[in-house]
Amino acid sequence: MFRSALIAAALLWSVAAHADDLTVTVRGRAGAPVENAVVTFRPAAGVPAGPIRFDWPMRMAQRGIAFDPHVLIAPVGAEVAFPNFDAVRHHVYSFASGNKFELRLFGRDETRSYRFMTAGVAAIGCNIHDRMSAFVVVVDTPYAAKTGPDGRVVLHGASGAGAFTVWQQDLRAPGNKLTRPVTAARTAAGESVVVDLRAAQAAHH
Amino acid sequence: MFSRLQTKIVVLFAGLFAIAMLVAGMVVYARISENAARTVRGELQSSGVVFDRIWDLRARQLRDGASLLARDFGFREAVATRDDATMRSALDNLRDRLDLHLAFIVDMDGAITGLDAPMDEARATALWTALDSDENAAGVTVIADQTYQVISAPIMSPTLAGWVVFATRLDAAEMARLEELSAIPLKATVVRRDAAGAWTPVKGDAAFANPGRLSGFIEAGLKHGVARELDTRGGRVIALAKPLRELGGGTESALLLRYPLAQAMAPYQPILFAVVIVGLLGIGVVIAGSWILARRLTRPIMALDAAAQRLRQGGDVSVPVETNDEIGRLAGTFNTMAAEIRVRERTITHLALHDAESNLPNRVALKQFVDASVKASDGRITVVAALGVDRFHQVRAAIGYTLANDLLREIAERLGRRHASARIARLATSVLGFVYEARDIAEAQTFAAALQADLDQPIRLNGDSVDASLTIGIAACSPGQSTEAIVDRASIALDQARATRRKIAVFDADAYGDPARNLSLTSDLMTAMAAGGTSIHLQPKYDLRRGLVTGAEALVRWRDPRRGMVPPDLFIGMAEETGHIRALTDWVLAQAVKTQLMLREDGHDLTIAVNISGRLMDDQDFAERAIDLVRGARADICFEITETAVIDNPDVALRIIDQYAAAGIGISIDDYGSGLSSLAYLKQIRANELKIDKTFVLCLAHGHRDALLVKSTIDLAHSLGLKVTAEGVETAEALAVLQTMGCDLAQGYFIGRPMPVGDFVTFMRGAPLTAASALAADIAESGTRTS
Repeated sequence: MFRSALIAAALLWSVAAHADDLTVTVRGRAGAPVENAVVTFRPAAGVPAGPIRFDWPMRMAQRGIAFDPHVLIAPVGAEVAFPNFDAVRHHVYSFASGNKFELRLFGRDETRSYRFMTAGVAAIGCNIHDRMSAFVVVVDTPYAAKTGPDGRVVLHGASGAGAFTVWQQDLRAPGNKLTRPVTAARTAAGESVVVDLRAAQAAHH
Repeated sequence: MFSRLQTKIVVLFAGLFAIAMLVAGMVVYARISENAARTVRGELQSSGVVFDRIWDLRARQLRDGASLLARDFGFREAVATRDDATMRSALDNLRDRLDLHLAFIVDMDGAITGLDAPMDEARATALWTALDSDENAAGVTVIADQTYQVISAPIMSPTLAGWVVFATRLDAAEMARLEELSAIPLKATVVRRDAAGAWTPVKGDAAFANPGRLSGFIEAGLKHGVARELDTRGGRVIALAKPLRELGGGTESALLLRYPLAQAMAPYQPILFAVVIVGLLGIGVVIAGSWILARRLTRPIMALDAAAQRLRQGGDVSVPVETNDEIGRLAGTFNTMAAEIRVRERTITHLALHDAESNLPNRVALKQFVDASVKASDGRITVVAALGVDRFHQVRAAIGYTLANDLLREIAERLGRRHASARIARLATSVLGFVYEARDIAEAQTFAAALQADLDQPIRLNGDSVDASLTIGIAACSPGQSTEAIVDRASIALDQARATRRKIAVFDADAYGDPARNLSLTSDLMTAMAAGGTSIHLQPKYDLRRGLVTGAEALVRWRDPRRGMVPPDLFIGMAEETGHIRALTDWVLAQAVKTQLMLREDGHDLTIAVNISGRLMDDQDFAERAIDLVRGARADICFEITETAVIDNPDVALRIIDQYAAAGIGISIDDYGSGLSSLAYLKQIRANELKIDKTFVLCLAHGHRDALLVKSTIDLAHSLGLKVTAEGVETAEALAVLQTMGCDLAQGYFIGRPMPVGDFVTFMRGAPLTAASALAADIAESGTRTS
């Protein structure tokens, strides 16, 4: 028996040491920090040209009948590897529009990869193991990061006016995301937005 | 209620047994019903549990199907890529395979795929909310006005992309499928709470006549969760309401499982039937048995009852005594009582119809004879003869009461012997009644004469012979007359015969008059005295020595407006009988005194004679009043009395006569010689005058013996110092003879008739101090005048 519950979340926006960093803290309404929320920032002036790189590996491993990490932020055009560290086979797939793929029945230590060409969230599943769930958030901005266990994230160099978007798989909003405008002035406290979270469903984990 | 003892006993026994059987039957039925109901309730309860399982199983089966679909890679792909055609075909495929009514997809945006009829916004939102709130939402809901059991399964692709929804319509077919799965023949109905909050069957199940009761039953049933009884069109049922979970939570529908009580009772029908049969047989046996018992018991009582009825009607009864018990003793006692009653009855009847002294039939018996004779009359008349034994009182005084009664009995016996059909009774002390039939009155008289002839021979009593003769009064029955009247008339006829000294007299109604009329006569007389209807007439008394009228006798006359002149004999006799003679005499005396004074004024100092009834002779009050009146007026009054007047109470009468004499009132002995003249009394009465009865005087001229009697009477009177007045002097010859005999006074038509006072005055004026011869001539003239 599963029931949706609304949890209020607060986004605490703290200004980093650098004035051009954007700090966002995601909390539930009860004050609990929300982990693995993806925060992206798009400057009003436009995204700087050039290839986007992140400092985490473009890899979605399968370990212990689970995807690792649960949420991976990847830039458009990135090729993400799906190494299988389990003794069992997996059938990794996504029906995400523009990023639809299927990696069939690969075995232990076998690595397949897929190049994500479309910005958006691609829900990744295993056709053999329903419990396995992961998300590849394909972004077209360099300012993107996941919140930590404290629900906090710092987007370095995300200066100037623009809009930031918070995505979380259980966020109760169209597309599971919220977009907020932000001015050029950064405050020490950062920005905060309250959103409802859908209670996590067991099948998703 | 029942007039027969036997019926009462039978009804009582059979009734008691029937009540006992009824109570036993009712208890058995109640126990069986209770048992059956309890069994069914238990079965229903367990069936309810089974139904829950079945329901769950069905839901799981659907869910498994839905899950299977939801997890199918191709399907998920179709959903993710919104491949409508594939989705529909997949849904259709599964719907057919799982025998579903509806199978559709609701995606995360609330869009519905696979449902033919579009769902309205509100319902779609409600459905989405329900699905969204619970991963595997299931329950009852309404889609397009139909009630469905719905289950859902999420479509993970791999995140939640929507839900596969399967729905089974809760219709009759579905219920039939449920019913089939039950161990006992249940009926299942889905009821749903309507907008007003009332529970109603989903498909308008006609089994429930009373919606209000059904609704209440389900409301309570859901609360308590136990099977209870409920009335439906198909009879009483035991029903259990199971709540059905609503999609989205709550309870808006319920499954009503019911089991007809009649069906529950069906296995017990043979037992109940057997109980009824045994009961009816028992009642039959009891009726037959109590009938026989009651018959044996009541037969002697019925015999007694019938005998008592016969006894009541005067029958001669005896009941056979068959047993030695209470009833036997009762019958014996009854027989004794009946016999005693008959004896007593005969005695009473005999006493009622017989004279105690003579043991002859009495007056009542005579009347019965008369009635019987009248009833049996064959053209002949019924005659009652009253046979008066002459001189009975004298005979009885001579021979004693016992022999006198024997004499009567002997007479009756002799007549009875002579006349076979004699019906004789004793009417009075000396009177026998004799009833016979005759062709006419003449024959009746002839027969009566024959009866008299029967007694020509003396009757022997105790060896002595007694002469007896009969005077007979005869009355014949005429239609419309009471028996009583006939008998009375015969008695009256006897009196009439004796009065007229005849041996036989037929009842003479004219001579008798009417007693009722007589009574009114008396009261009329009193009225007449007050109103002047009566008057006195005076009849002159002629002094033969002095040759002039020296006195007059006052005689009362009464002219009644209706009756005319009433005969003095009639009303004076009546006044004597009724006690009014005193008032009448008072009145006559007053008139006489007045007239005497008036005549004295007119120059005629006459002695006026007033007749004093024997009834007044011992009346001291009257005597004092009369003396006062006469003395007070100094009138010359003479009282005429008869010798017999003093017989009843001689001491008082003679004393009063002395008082009259002392007061200067003359006493005249009237009608001397007609009655029982007693020289003894003649000697004692202080009289001045003696009046010789006219019967002697009337025949004076012809009969030598009469003349002798008159002459000797005159001499006798003279020798006693009495004057003699001769009455009934109607001829000059008689007057002359009387004169020669030395008679003192004469009274009669030859001297003068009784005349009103006015005429008398005229008479006196016309005949003052005349000689007898001159008077005689005058009288001859006046005789022609008055006749």
